[in-house]
Amino acid sequence: MPATRPLPELVCPAGSLPALKAAVDNGADTVYLGLKNDTNARNFAGLNFDDRTARDGIHYAHQHGRKVLLAINTYAQGGDISRWHRAIDEGAALGVDAIILADIGLMKYARDRYPDLRLHMSVQSSATNYEAINLAQDMFDIRRAVLPRVLTLDQVKQVIDHTNVEIEVFGFGSLCVMVEGRCLLSSYATGESPNSHGVCSPAKFVRWEHGQQALGARLNGILIDEYQQGEAAGYPTLCKGRFEVEGDTYYALEEPTSLNVMSMLPQIIDIGVAAIKVEGRQRSPAYVAQVTRTLREALDAAGRDKQRFAVKPAWTQALSKLAEGQQQTLGAYNRPWK
Amino acid sequence: MHIPDLTLPTTLANILGKLPSTPPCWALVTTLNQLKKREILQVDMSLLSGHSFEVHILDADMRLHFVADDDHFSVGNNTTVPDLHLAANLADFARMMLREEDPDTLFFNRKLVIEGDTELGLIVKNLLDSVDWSATPLQRFMAV
Amino acid sequence: MKKLQLTLGPVLFYWSRDDILRFYSEAADWPLETIYLGEAVCSRRQQLRGQDWISLGQELAQNGHQVVLSSQALIESESDLRRLRKLVENDELQLEANDLGAARLAQQQGRPFVAGHHLNIYNADTLALIRSLGARRWIPPVEMDRDTLSAVLGQAAFNGVQIETELFAWGKLPLALSARCFTARHYNLSKDDCQFRCMEHPDGLRLNTREQQAFLTINGIQTMSDGCQSLLPHLADISAMGITALRISPQWQHTAQVVQGYQQAVDAIASRNANHVDLSPYSDSLLVDGYWRGSAGISAIGEPRHAHS
Repeated sequence: MPATRPLPELVCPAGSLPALKAAVDNGADTVYLGLKNDTNARNFAGLNFDDRTARDGIHYAHQHGRKVLLAINTYAQGGDISRWHRAIDEGAALGVDAIILADIGLMKYARDRYPDLRLHMSVQSSATNYEAINLAQDMFDIRRAVLPRVLTLDQVKQVIDHTNVEIEVFGFGSLCVMVEGRCLLSSYATGESPNSHGVCSPAKFVRWEHGQQALGARLNGILIDEYQQGEAAGYPTLCKGRFEVEGDTYYALEEPTSLNVMSMLPQIIDIGVAAIKVEGRQRSPAYVAQVTRTLREALDAAGRDKQRFAVKPAWTQALSKLAEGQQQTLGAYNRPWK
Repeated sequence: MHIPDLTLPTTLANILGKLPSTPPCWALVTTLNQLKKREILQVDMSLLSGHSFEVHILDADMRLHFVADDDHFSVGNNTTVPDLHLAANLADFARMMLREEDPDTLFFNRKLVIEGDTELGLIVKNLLDSVDWSATPLQRFMAV
Repeated sequence: MKKLQLTLGPVLFYWSRDDILRFYSEAADWPLETIYLGEAVCSRRQQLRGQDWISLGQELAQNGHQVVLSSQALIESESDLRRLRKLVENDELQLEANDLGAARLAQQQGRPFVAGHHLNIYNADTLALIRSLGARRWIPPVEMDRDTLSAVLGQAAFNGVQIETELFAWGKLPLALSARCFTARHYNLSKDDCQFRCMEHPDGLRLNTREQQAFLTINGIQTMSDGCQSLLPHLADISAMGITALRISPQWQHTAQVVQGYQQAVDAIASRNANHVDLSPYSDSLLVDGYWRGSAGISAIGEPRHAHS
């Protein structure tokens, strides 16, 4: 292993032009974004980019020497998949630095049409092992794969050691406890899922009920959680609700928690991770600015001196304020969590 | 610029709460329409049209009602139940508007109350987030 | 039009070796075209090891069944890959690939395979691609509705792609996979020291909402529906769409009656008779078919499409 590895790219989310500028201004190497339709997995009303804002954003990022990735990470649905093809065409025309794709059928389309376009394998492809990643490399020459948040650090290393494809891992943000691309809980409750509609626990199915004692959160009529006065509330994402199992009522699947790998940055650099991704295209420019600034500082500090790297209390404080549920975890990277 | 964590004193709130809310509300809709006209607020009115909104400044006990149609915003009446109700203290509204605080963070901490149509709330949040203040003199007040 | 065939999916729950062997000795006599074998959910479940499954499969194959070995769906470690390679390298039984990595290994061996529902095939282009890797049959994602499936099949036929289609017709729906074990979590155990508590729950653990609405099923690292999917009311339509096979997902009790019921229904449709089979006594959950109708998966048979404002 070489003595010094290049620092992993810091890849930050942008749901709007101000968020993109916030990411660039605060030290993101790369920004990822989606178009205003169901071709991306954060298909929320009022979020994302149209042709003009995408053009402005890409111009702004490139002017500052940063890269822009376009996420087309839902699965093209049914007989007419022209919307997904148009999104790829648009990405190529806009001059994005890479397109992030989940559906292997779309990878083929992009590769056939645009031989020089750089392709990344989305986390929504659920590629958790090097055989899956190498298949996409052999067939479509993908250059990078984003790993689902289910592997231990040793398992991530195992993948890196057996592929030439760059590996991107999640570093901060709301934690999806399920294998991305393999979770249909949302459509079971509402009919719409990340794979099919680019949404999880969509807002149009959410109802808040302000009762005498408690605040109830329902998704399509199904009670996901109740919060007592003064208790921190969470968006009713299905997997983060409180349910009853054999007489116990608890977070049966997962607490509202954010992933935060800051304390592991030296190891992440050591095993040769190419990029660290921040979750949250649905979050505001304020979130993007604060997370980007903090991770930039931490990453640079780890790069200067890995041995003496220690997480600064100020970084932890800055991030914990933004974390969903205000709890943070190393997630699957740390074996005991599993 | 940092907004101090203050709640308006009760006496002041009592006075503010008794003042008619029409002038501040008129100022709000006029500002919204101006921002829209100057394309700073890039809003797809079809997403908002036909909906009524209430902004409730808790510590001032002030409720601002407005409605949207296909073209513009106008002062609404406060007798109907709004489609979207947003409530917070003045300082938290200010933090949110100036992008010192993330609305999700305020919401998770129960400092921002959203009632009614959740998707409409998300549309409004995303709309505010998408405003590029760098084209306006307000830029120097913005945290981001 | 060819008559619909019945298949038996892999056992998704954790049963003891004796229970599994007993189950398949009975299943050997059921009217099944294909039996899927193997541990598709959790790498820690090793009551039968790879070679045991292969031997069991060879026995069943000698009795005239088509046998397919189902791969684990979540492949994380090198030992997961080693087990997968062992399944692929046997040259008698085909593989159900539940991961792209599995599809790659089957392709490298030049072996035809079944593309499991976890492969996320949602359109005809992707279907053609998987076909080109060697898939002879595919199982659509369990959330895919009738109209989307019909459009995919129509487009595939137009493109000259020939492949068999099998639908998840009966059982608790496999909805999600995680790195975490929710059964271990329920017992405050770590996954590495789970004490194999899944075996105490041969149909999984029921998860209710705080209002006691039965909602999901915890099955180790897998989350399933509580509702039992049944496509029984739609068999005439399914048959007309050119579907090849219907998968019955094993449950702890009454799987034989379910298979029998489906066989009666399929026979009735083939002879253009009305299908009066009622399988509700054989499930302890609500029967749901929302996904097929383009609604929420939880929507019960006969329930109107969820109308939200």
